[in-house]
Amino acid sequence: MIKITNLEKIYRTEEVETVALNDLSFEVRDGEFVAVMGPSGCGKSTLLNILGLLDDPDAGSFLFNGVEVAKFNERKRADMRKKNIGFVFQSFNLIDELTVFENVELPLMYAGVKKSERKARVDEVLEKVQIMHRRNHFPQQLSGGQQQRVAVARAVVNKPKLILADEPTGNLDSSNGNEVMQMLTDLNEAGTTIVMVTHSEHDARYSHRIIRMLDGHTVTENILV
Amino acid sequence: MIKNYFKTAWRNLVRNKVYSLINILGLSIGMAACILILLWVQNQLSHDRFHKNLDRIYIVNNRDIGDGGKFAWSWTPNIMGPTLKKDYPEVADAVRYVEGNNFLFTVGEKKMVPSGAFADPGFLSVFSFPLISGDAKNALAEVSNIVLTEKLARSLFGADDPLGKIVKIDSNAHFKVTGVLKNLPDNTAFDFAYLLPWSYKDKLGWTDSAWGNNGLNTYVMLKPGTSQATFDQKINKITTNHLPGDPLYKNREVFTQPFKDQWLYSKQENGRYIGGRIDMVRMFTAIATLILIIACINFMNLSTARSEKRAKEVGIRKVVGAQKKGLIFQFIGESVLLSGIAFLFALAIVIIFLPGFSTLVDQQLHLPFTDPLFWMSAVTFILVSGLLAGSYPAFYLSAFNPVKVLKGFFKSSTAAVNPRKVLVVIQFTFAVLLIISTFIVMQQIKHAQARDNGYNAQHLVFVKMNGAIENNYSLIRNELINRGAVVSVTKSMSPITERYSDSWNFSWTGSTEEDKKTDFVRMASDADFVKTLGTKLVMGRDIDIFKYPSDSNAILLNETAAKMMHLKDPLNAILKADDIEWRVVGVVKDFIYQSPYEKVQQLIVFGPKSWFNTMHFKLNPANTTRQNLDIVAAIFKQFNPEYPFDYKFVDAEYARKFKEEQKTGTMAALFAGLTIFISCLGLFALSTYMAETRIKEIGVRKVLGASIFNITSLLSGSFLKLVIISCVVASPIAWFVMHNWLKNYQYRISIGWPVFAGTALLVMVIALVTISFQSVKAALSNPVKALRSE
Repeated sequence: MIKITNLEKIYRTEEVETVALNDLSFEVRDGEFVAVMGPSGCGKSTLLNILGLLDDPDAGSFLFNGVEVAKFNERKRADMRKKNIGFVFQSFNLIDELTVFENVELPLMYAGVKKSERKARVDEVLEKVQIMHRRNHFPQQLSGGQQQRVAVARAVVNKPKLILADEPTGNLDSSNGNEVMQMLTDLNEAGTTIVMVTHSEHDARYSHRIIRMLDGHTVTENILV
Repeated sequence: MIKNYFKTAWRNLVRNKVYSLINILGLSIGMAACILILLWVQNQLSHDRFHKNLDRIYIVNNRDIGDGGKFAWSWTPNIMGPTLKKDYPEVADAVRYVEGNNFLFTVGEKKMVPSGAFADPGFLSVFSFPLISGDAKNALAEVSNIVLTEKLARSLFGADDPLGKIVKIDSNAHFKVTGVLKNLPDNTAFDFAYLLPWSYKDKLGWTDSAWGNNGLNTYVMLKPGTSQATFDQKINKITTNHLPGDPLYKNREVFTQPFKDQWLYSKQENGRYIGGRIDMVRMFTAIATLILIIACINFMNLSTARSEKRAKEVGIRKVVGAQKKGLIFQFIGESVLLSGIAFLFALAIVIIFLPGFSTLVDQQLHLPFTDPLFWMSAVTFILVSGLLAGSYPAFYLSAFNPVKVLKGFFKSSTAAVNPRKVLVVIQFTFAVLLIISTFIVMQQIKHAQARDNGYNAQHLVFVKMNGAIENNYSLIRNELINRGAVVSVTKSMSPITERYSDSWNFSWTGSTEEDKKTDFVRMASDADFVKTLGTKLVMGRDIDIFKYPSDSNAILLNETAAKMMHLKDPLNAILKADDIEWRVVGVVKDFIYQSPYEKVQQLIVFGPKSWFNTMHFKLNPANTTRQNLDIVAAIFKQFNPEYPFDYKFVDAEYARKFKEEQKTGTMAALFAGLTIFISCLGLFALSTYMAETRIKEIGVRKVLGASIFNITSLLSGSFLKLVIISCVVASPIAWFVMHNWLKNYQYRISIGWPVFAGTALLVMVIALVTISFQSVKAALSNPVKALRSE
C-alpha cells in the first residue's frame, strides 16, 4: 500500500536547519499494522504527516497504492486524504462546537455522502465504538477515553484503507488506552492498514511490525507476528 | 454542509458571548450610522427626481462679469419665459415661478396667511406634482383660479370637497379652487401651499417687460431630442440682443442648468455651477463608508486575533478532507451571518433614532419597508459588509497549516508590523480625522458667532408690512411709542437679517463708467434706522423724515460702500440711482445682513422715496417682553384687524444663519463619537484577548519582580503606540481636508496646532481608559495560577 524511497524532509529557520527525515525508505503492505517508535525528534511525526498527505517531502518518492503522491497539490492531496486515510491524534482533536454525531459525520460530508446514508453510517460506527448513548453530547462533556473513541469513530467512518494514529493513547489512562488499542486491532483485523506512532512498548506490541527510527532514518525493524 | 457551517458559526457565537456581543454591537452601530447617512444621501439625491419630464427641464440662468470675475444667478426677467416660448421652436414650454406670497386667505370665518407662489399655467404640466382633483392643463388658466395643496385645502374647507369653492384673497379678490395637489413631497425644492396664476400677478401690476429686472425663476421644457448645448448657444446673447447698445448688458450671457442638478449644484465658481449640496453628499457618503469600514475592521481584528481558538477546527476540517476554498466559503458565510444579525439590530437602532436624525438633518426620512428595492439594497448591504469584514479573516484562517495547528505550534503574529496593527491604525486614523474635523467645524461656528454683527439684536422685533399696516403706519408707530411698548420704530425694505434687493447702474461724483457695474445691496428706512437697529454711525446722522422733510431722498452708506466709492467727504455726496438724486446724510459701520461667514458688501440705505415691506421696532427694555408684545399685538389688531399678528425676533433669525454649519457640526460630532466608540469597542476586545494570551508572560514577569505599573504600561504601551501613529497619520490629512473646507468661508479661522494636540491627547486618554481596564486586571492576576495552568 505504501512505498517510500529515499524520503527527505528538512526544516529550515533563519539560523537552524533540522533534518527531520534522512534518506528514509520502507514499505507497508495492505492489511499490515505497523508501529513507528523512536525518541522525541527522531522524525516519527513528520513521517506520519507525510504519509497522511498533510505535509510534502523535500525529496524522495512516496507511492500510495502505486500512485506517486509526493508532488500532489493541495486539492489532490485533500481528495486522496478524504477517500483513503483516517487519522487518530493523541489530543483527540474534536471540534468543540460540534456534537459527537456531527464530529463523526464531518468526513462523510466532505466526501459528499448523502444525508440518509451519513446517518446510518455514523450510527453504525458509534455503535461499534460504544458511544451511541452520547451521540448528542459535545466533546467537552466526555471523558478522555470517550473522546478518543469518537476520534477513532471519525477516523473509520469513511471506511479508509489506511489509519494513521499519532500516539493514540498518549492522553489516556491504561484502561482507556487498552480499549482504544483493542479497537485499532479489531479494525486491522477487519482489513484496515494501520500505521501508529507511539512511545509505548506496550501499545507497539499490538502491531505486526515495529520500525524504530533515529535521526530521521530507520535503525531496526522488528517483526512481531 | 451549509447547515454544518451554520451550526458551527452559531455555536461559536453563543459560546463566546462577550466577543460576539462586541462584534455584533460594533457592526450594528456602524451599520445603523451608515444606514442613517445613506437615507439622508438618498433623500438628497432623490430631490425633484420624480418629475416625468425631468431630463427635458432646465432652469434659465444669467451670467455676467463683476466684482473681479464671472458670476451666475438664476433670477430672470419677467419677459424671459414668454420670449423663449415664442421665439425658440425647440422650447416645448417655458414657465415662470416665484415664491414669497403672503396674502390673507379668508373662507367664512377662517383667516390665514399661508405661503404660496405665482406660476404660469404650464407649471403643472411641466412638473409632475400629482393632482388629487382638477385638470393640470387648465387649473391655472384663468386669472381667478387657485390651486391648493391637500393640507391647505383641508385647513380651509375641512372635509368638504374644495373643488369649485371660493377663497377670498386679501380684501376683495375672489378665487375659485380649480385644483387640489397632493401635499408636496419632502424631497422637492419647491415650497408652496397654493399656486396663483401668473396672470393675477400681471393684474396686480407686479410685472414688467424690462430685460434688466430679475426677480423670478424661468424653467424651460425642451422638445425631445433638443441638445442643451445647442440651445444654450442660441439663447446665449438673448438679453444683450434685446438691450442693444446698453454697455451694462454687453457681457450678459444666458444659459440653462439641468433642473435635476439644481438642488445639488448651487455653488458657483467663475459663473459655473461646480458644487454645493453634492459636496456634503459626497463627504457624508465617505463618512458612512468609513464608519462601516471601521466596524468591519473590528470584526477582522477580533476574528484574526482569536484565530488560535479556531485554528484547531481548521486543522481538523483539513485533515478530514476540507479544501481551502471550502473553508473560505465557510468563514465568509459566518461573517455574512453575523452581518445579517447585525443588520437586524441596526434596523432597530435606525427605527429608534430616525425621528431625531430627521429633525437634525431637517428632512423627513423614512425606511421604505414596502419598497422591494429597499430589501434588495439591504441584502446587498449585508453581503458587502459580510464580505468586507469576512474576506481577510477567511483567507487568513483557511491558510493555516493543519500539522502545525494540530500539534499546537500555532502562535498568532507578534511581529512589529502585522495586518491587525495596521487595521487598528486605520481605524483610529479615521476616528482622529473625524474628531479633528469636528473641532474645526465647531471652532469655525464659534468664530462666526463671536463676530460683531454691527447692530444690537436685543429686544429687536420685525413684522411684515401686510394688509393695512402701510396705510396706518404713522398711527401704529405713534401708538407703539406712546403706549410705552417700544422705544423706537423704523420701516425698511427687508429684515436686517436678510438681503432682499441689490442693483447696479449707480453713479456719483467722480464715479467711472466701470463703477456702474458695481453691485450694491439695498436697504431702506424712513427714520431711526440707527437708533432702532443699534447700528453705529461713523459720520453724519440718521435718516429722519419726521425731522427733515427733505430726507425722502436721503441715503446712508455703510463703510465698505463709502470706501469703495472713493468719496473724500461722503457727507452730502450725491448718488444717482433709479433716475433719482440721493444725498448721503450719514455713514454707518458695516453690519452683517447676510452670511456671518462672508465679508460685508457695499450697502446703501435709501430714504422714504424707496419701497418698504418690513417694520422693525425695539421693545421697551423697562417692561417684560410679554407685556410689550401684548400691547404691540393689540395695536396691530386695532390697525390691521384682518391679518394675524406675526412677528419675529431678530436675534432668533440671526441665530438661524448658523443652522447649516451647526447641522454639519452636530452630524460630524455624532459620527466622530460613534467612530471612536466603535474603535474603542474593538480595542477593548483586542486588549481583553491580548491579556488572555499573554497571561503566562505576565506571570513570569511578575515572578521576576515586575510591578503592576510595569505590567500595565507594557500591555497598554503597545496599543498606545498604535494610537499615536494614528494621530500622526490623521493630522496632516485632517489639516488638508479642513483647510479646503474653510476656503468656503471668507470669514474663517486659521487652523492652529492646539486642535491636533488636543485631539491626540483626548484620543489617547480614551484609548488608555479602554485598555487599562484589562491591563490592570491582567497585572493584578495571581501569577501562580497562570503558571500552574501551563
